[in-house]
Amino acid sequence: MKSFYDTISCKDITMTIKRLFFLVLCFCLFSGLAHARASLGPTEELKPTLDKIKEILADPDLAGSERKAKRREKIMAVAVQGFDFAEMSKRVLGKTWKTIDEQQRVHFEQLFTKLLENVYIGKLESYSGGQNVQFQEERIKGKRAVVNTVVDDNGVAIPVRYVMLQKGSIWKVYDINIEGVSLVRNYREQFKSILRKEKYDGLVKILEEKNASFIDEESN
Amino acid sequence: MMTRTRYNFLCYLVVLFLLTSLGCARDRSGENLGPEAQESAQGMEDDFDLLINDFYGDDDLVFEPEYYDPLEPMNRLFFEFNDTLYFWVLKPVNRAYTAVLPIDLRYCFGNFFTNVAAPIRFFNNLLQGEISDAGIVLSRFLINSTFGVLGLGDPALVDFGLEPKPEDFGQTLGAWGVGEGVYLCWPFIGPSNVRDSFGFAADAYSHPVVYFNNDFFISGAYYSGSRINLLSLNPEVYEDLKKYAVDPYVSMRQVYLDYRRNKIKGKTAKQPVVQEL
Repeated sequence: MKSFYDTISCKDITMTIKRLFFLVLCFCLFSGLAHARASLGPTEELKPTLDKIKEILADPDLAGSERKAKRREKIMAVAVQGFDFAEMSKRVLGKTWKTIDEQQRVHFEQLFTKLLENVYIGKLESYSGGQNVQFQEERIKGKRAVVNTVVDDNGVAIPVRYVMLQKGSIWKVYDINIEGVSLVRNYREQFKSILRKEKYDGLVKILEEKNASFIDEESN
Repeated sequence: MMTRTRYNFLCYLVVLFLLTSLGCARDRSGENLGPEAQESAQGMEDDFDLLINDFYGDDDLVFEPEYYDPLEPMNRLFFEFNDTLYFWVLKPVNRAYTAVLPIDLRYCFGNFFTNVAAPIRFFNNLLQGEISDAGIVLSRFLINSTFGVLGLGDPALVDFGLEPKPEDFGQTLGAWGVGEGVYLCWPFIGPSNVRDSFGFAADAYSHPVVYFNNDFFISGAYYSGSRINLLSLNPEVYEDLKKYAVDPYVSMRQVYLDYRRNKIKGKTAKQPVVQEL
């Protein structure tokens, strides 16, 4: 009898150990996976994006104004992975974002993304490539982070800070702050002034005109 | 004996000339951005935490206005005036100026104008209790006025690694806790606010050119000259702003206020602040 119980308990123990082992294995596996996905910090997420953009800008096969459309397309494909244009659009509109419907939001996001493309990438293209970006420390506070960089513009050190937001496990930039001047806030104030006078439809019209002005400039 | 002194003097002149030309030429080459320069830039960054800023908070849709611009109609008029002044006067003058003077020389002039204004930076560093920075301003002034030949070169930065410490009375007032007051856009001078306008006037009085002569015309001419030179070194700034903005007036106001606040806040935050992260 005794030996019978012994075998039972022995079997029980082996089962428990096996189950435990399985659980631990599962735990390790999943947490490992989860860890692998969450482990990319803000800087690790941002740096490859900026490097890729720099690479495209330096690519001689994509240089020149005649290959601009193709170059821009490639840059934007990289940019959407690192920059949260939806979040920027939401923040730049402020309260008005709540009053417009889904279709208008999508349209506005397209317009604003296009404007940023014209402004930001247009500016990057105008640099001769002598710009050196140095990554410095990052700060994380909950779902938000700031990555400090210093851009060397012909011997002048310009502090450029990327403000990032974590959605899911991915960090994306939602504002660029240069020497305290915030890109999103700057447009937000401009839009606020326009919205007060011309309402949302007026703003859309002005944005469309602004984006068109960049096309006119090329053809000139 | 006489020839030896003359020989020494000649040697000194040659060395001086070489130093100056080096100073001028290297100013814009980017080589002077040594590790010290980058470190100090980093030091500034550590102090100012954007994540404490409400603007980046989660409740992004509620947002208080952060500026006072009750004089907007008047300011817009002056903004338009400055815009016209830029395209009708400053831009053509700058084009001629740039065509006549090579960029190296314009950098030297820029150094000169900066060096002459050293008393402003000296006093304001003192007034803010930045004794060591005031010392650096003084050393820079002495080195650049001698080795830099009247401040045309900047050997203090290039050879001695002394970073400029720009401070003005507007910043001093800000550091003392004086509020900005309403936003102002002055004709000729550009964006400002009540505090910085007082600062500008106070700084003008401690500027040697104004201090040592009472002729308003000479001071005005000197100021215009320094501004044209500055413009010639950064020709695209204003037109870029116009190109990228949908409302250039608002954009410039925001840039000005953000930039000045960052300067003052970055300074006061130098004292250890417990940052909630």
